[in-house]
Amino acid sequence: MFVGKDVPHDSARGHVSGESLYVDDLPRLANELQVGFWWSPIAHGRIRALDLEVARRVPGVVALYTHADIEGGNLFGPIFQDEPLLAPGVVSYVGQPVVVIAAETREAIELARKAIVADIEALTPIFTIDEAIAAGSFIGTRRTIRRGDADAAIAAAPHVLEGVFRSGGQDQFYLESQAAIAMPDEHGAIAVHSSTQNPTEVQDVIADVLGVPLSQVIVVAKRMGGGFGGKECQATHPATIAALVAHKTRRPARIAYTKDEDMVVTGHRHPFQNRYRVGFDDSGRIVGMWVDFHSDGGAFADLSTAIMARAMCHAENAYYIHDIDINGTVCRTNSAPNTAMRGFGGPQGVATMECIVEEIATKLGRDPFEIRRLNCYGIDDRNTTPYGAVVENNTLPRIFDELAASSDYRRRREDVLRFNLESKTRLRGIALTPVKFGISFNTTFLNQANALVNIYRDGTVQVSTGATEMGQGVNTKIAQMVADELGVDLPSVRMMITSTEKNNNTSATAASTGSDINGGAAIDACRKLRARLADCAASLLSEGEEGLAPSVESIVFREGVVFDSRRPAKTMSFGELAHAAHRQRVSLGERGYYATPLIHWDIEKFAGRPFLYYTIGAAVSEVEIDRFTGMLRVLRSDLLMDIGRSINPGIDRGQITGAFVQGMGWCTTEELRYSDAGELLTHSPTTYKIPNIQDLPEVFNVAWIDNDTNTVNVKGSKAVGEPPLLLAISVWAAVKQALTSFAGRAVVLRLPATNEEIAMRLAAIESATKS
Amino acid sequence: MRDHLELFLNGQSERIAGADAFRTVANWLREFRGATGTKTVCEEGDCGACTVLVGTPRAGSLDYKPINSCIQFLFQLDGTHLVTVEGLKLGDQLSAVQQSMVDHQGSQCGYCTPGFVVAMSALHESAPGITERAAREALTGNLCRCTGYEPIIKAALDMTRGHGKRIEELYPSRPIAAALGKGAGSVRVEAAGRTFFAPSTLDEALAFLAEQPGAVIVQGGTDFGVQCNKRGLRPDVMLTLSRVEGLDGISVENGTLVVGGRTTLGSLEAFTRGSVPSLHGILCLFGSPQIRNAGTLAGNIANASPIADTLPFLFVCGAELELASSRGHRVVGINSFYKGYKKLDLAPGEMITRVRIPLPGEEETVRLYKVSKRRDLDISTFTAAIRMTLDGRRMSGVSLAYGGVAPVVLRLPKTEALLEGREASEALFREAGEVARTEIAPISDVRGSKEFRTLLASNVLMKFFHEEIAGGPAARNTGAR
Repeated sequence: MFVGKDVPHDSARGHVSGESLYVDDLPRLANELQVGFWWSPIAHGRIRALDLEVARRVPGVVALYTHADIEGGNLFGPIFQDEPLLAPGVVSYVGQPVVVIAAETREAIELARKAIVADIEALTPIFTIDEAIAAGSFIGTRRTIRRGDADAAIAAAPHVLEGVFRSGGQDQFYLESQAAIAMPDEHGAIAVHSSTQNPTEVQDVIADVLGVPLSQVIVVAKRMGGGFGGKECQATHPATIAALVAHKTRRPARIAYTKDEDMVVTGHRHPFQNRYRVGFDDSGRIVGMWVDFHSDGGAFADLSTAIMARAMCHAENAYYIHDIDINGTVCRTNSAPNTAMRGFGGPQGVATMECIVEEIATKLGRDPFEIRRLNCYGIDDRNTTPYGAVVENNTLPRIFDELAASSDYRRRREDVLRFNLESKTRLRGIALTPVKFGISFNTTFLNQANALVNIYRDGTVQVSTGATEMGQGVNTKIAQMVADELGVDLPSVRMMITSTEKNNNTSATAASTGSDINGGAAIDACRKLRARLADCAASLLSEGEEGLAPSVESIVFREGVVFDSRRPAKTMSFGELAHAAHRQRVSLGERGYYATPLIHWDIEKFAGRPFLYYTIGAAVSEVEIDRFTGMLRVLRSDLLMDIGRSINPGIDRGQITGAFVQGMGWCTTEELRYSDAGELLTHSPTTYKIPNIQDLPEVFNVAWIDNDTNTVNVKGSKAVGEPPLLLAISVWAAVKQALTSFAGRAVVLRLPATNEEIAMRLAAIESATKS
Repeated sequence: MRDHLELFLNGQSERIAGADAFRTVANWLREFRGATGTKTVCEEGDCGACTVLVGTPRAGSLDYKPINSCIQFLFQLDGTHLVTVEGLKLGDQLSAVQQSMVDHQGSQCGYCTPGFVVAMSALHESAPGITERAAREALTGNLCRCTGYEPIIKAALDMTRGHGKRIEELYPSRPIAAALGKGAGSVRVEAAGRTFFAPSTLDEALAFLAEQPGAVIVQGGTDFGVQCNKRGLRPDVMLTLSRVEGLDGISVENGTLVVGGRTTLGSLEAFTRGSVPSLHGILCLFGSPQIRNAGTLAGNIANASPIADTLPFLFVCGAELELASSRGHRVVGINSFYKGYKKLDLAPGEMITRVRIPLPGEEETVRLYKVSKRRDLDISTFTAAIRMTLDGRRMSGVSLAYGGVAPVVLRLPKTEALLEGREASEALFREAGEVARTEIAPISDVRGSKEFRTLLASNVLMKFFHEEIAGGPAARNTGAR
């Protein structure tokens, strides 16, 4: 059996030897064109004139295209089709594509870019959430999840507090920048290699922009050098631009963003600004809560409204709050359209709740852990979410208690408080924060997948699904499941390149669901194949066996060998069986399908069961701050999760450590800074600081509980891609506690808690104390 | 005089003539050698995905160091053996590093992986028993977005399987070093209006500079490469000193640390470990191993950034620069070397041949501070050096230098005067902080606001007081690992 084993990533050997190919590693094609674009240099304006004549004459430049050259539709978007591929007159953010440049060399693209002259009338830009609210500039409508009467409950509560929590954006910072190669095919068809999490969406938009049917577009995605949500929607732009060039010039066309370009022209995790008002009693029990979320959606809708829905569905995090009123509005601003990033709104909702819990504890003079434990979702009661779903098989109380014990939380908290009284140079903080992350796309119809499993006559197997491999190991996990289902060795199973010609109408590999739904579809295909093969084996293995009638039920597939359990000595190899089945005209290919069961979501009422199950966990982090410079170290983090039955413990552990450290970046050092004109200033790793190997917590304990209750999902597993990112909120909460313990009162703290944010807050506390 | 470059790539001899000499190493590998294992991500030496090993002949064998190939030009690698990720396997067998990365799930998306594997291979070359601390330090120059680094560290601590061969065993160095040795003498490559010159003597270098005063000396090129990639810098005439003997020394002579004009920061880091701990501490936070293996102290000085990490130390030590040109030699103090933002007391045709740093005495206290958004591999928001002799709490020989608060690194004469000869107290240091604020002119930029820098200008004095005077060493938070 391979499920449950720590087998290496199926591309690992290629990764370590440099042999794994990514889009821009593919050899140059004969006659290939290089593609780039000229983008809007200003955040909001009306193009009065565009002079392309000088650029057209740059040696090596082959073609320039604007929106006027698009024959199909110029507007696209996964939810609202409001985003132009090429700006049609009005430009809405710095970095918006305006003119496509196709040239023989990348150098010629650069020269052409510099030669484009534009006369753009500046219009008033909107840069902040407050400016957008004042101007009434929104995307979609305000949404609400409501249960009970929050206003009345808060009014009647013994204690009330309110405030505003602000979190910043985050760049996905995949190492491989966006890239695509488009190749014209016969009769107007086109094939595109794209570094995308969502080949079907790339296919859709290309077909629409070129004005051809979907069947004429093939999108292929072999692997990505990281995605993290950034290639869920926004791989579409480069792929479609390359396709436009290939379609018009009948030449292969390649586009590869530079890192700087990638960071400027693509969107990021949404900044949020969340108002809250909460009522609670003396014990710390939350009796009512009202929150009003505003996110910065950027210039176009992209996935912003779905991201807001997930933020709202995570607003209460791990806590049962009966009377609750959750509101969310997406603001339209003049920045690059913000988009999916690991967590997809969940982190912004959960961080707000954890900020609130910290402040409740401060107000009551209590350990925040007590408040968390007290309000935690119950197992048999107090277990219904604000949107009406039941938290089944709730492991939150168990995780809280086991982690508090294993991390020695209470003693260490005492130590931290004592340390802060004694040290004149450093401050410490410790916090335990939980996560309850809903698994399934909030948008119900996306929860489906198909898979193609082909068995060859030697018994080897090819598996194609709509899942895209971006490092998360989805292909490895599916191969493990397939190997077990067919009873073959893992090396017999080969995961094939993802392509829309084999798997149609797929959903993005996103929402942590890649292995769940694509694995489910592959299992479905395997079971159909195995049934046919068992039928065949039953006759073959009983042939000439005295007193043995063919019995499909007693056929066993194990480790590449097939036998009848009643006569286990007589065996045939899986390859022999495949060969024999083929001779008997039994189909050795099958298509599997999976649709997530049990889920439903009322998009108007914002109620239902949007998630099949919850992945649960908690973390304790202890931090140390230099009181003079604000510089932060994470001394120790202990993570404990419920990820069901792990399909691959090695891969899952890597998802947990990787997501946690990525979340630490969001909470601490990753800060997007813009000029007053809305230009992103932090567009490369020199200025945008993701965590480095030295930032890993000095002591880092990662564990998960044994939980076999998640029978609703494939192999009893739970999704693990996104949830551990939210555990890093423990780092931010620990910083907030450190400042709180210094100030002796609640301290407002922005997220990320950069060294500057921390130092300036400390200075403000000191000057307030003096005066 | 040779008119082309000679180097080895994964054991194969390469002769590079013409315009190819002016390509970045990463670009040449990917576009002209099909060696796409080497990835280019940031093109500014800040992510390590392009890391390659460069073997430099030393005493008949090759000394391998990891560098960033995206900001090195081929002409800089003349006379070396370049080993890329493709060159580490033995037939079908993975190296110890590669196998360990596979076994520990050290790769996820795989895009940073070649860079990690190469950087880790350098570690595997250098040390038999690798500690976690050594692994973290060796991999500081490599960013990974997927793994959270934990599996990579585990891989680095368990390099026991695979073919297990060291680079020397894969590519015996004697024949390569011998072949490279045959190309001794100076090198001059001219193509498409651009000239590269590698003189073999200092006189030749100075004569060339006299004749080509606009020539850019590209030694480590760790900032030069960034300027070329990101800001369109494209000088016509370039020169490297790699073939000039005697410019790569480090020694201590009568209490003065003498550093050659092309001595790398990496060599300096190794030399000062133990001998000059205060300087060593800041060198460990300077860039990354890849950057330090290429970059030089003289380059850091001549590049004239107000946030150059080495400068505050050089300022409080009163370092002297030996300058040479075809007209002769002179010595200039670092405290008067900078005339304004990126303006130097360096005449056309003149170069830094040696840096002389009178080291503080053992009785003196010297502390260097670097504040940056991320502690490692980050450009400073603010830097400082504080030097003084403490007799009890009485302070003398007070010297302060700040970086990141003005167009040049500043000494703070008024603050120094306030502290000089006085008894240290919290009130006095608070007052000193107020005075320090009046001596600086910080601006807001992407690395920090004016207000933050102003705060740091006074806070760093409080930090020094509490950590070095009031609290003793126990109070110190150096961010030690």
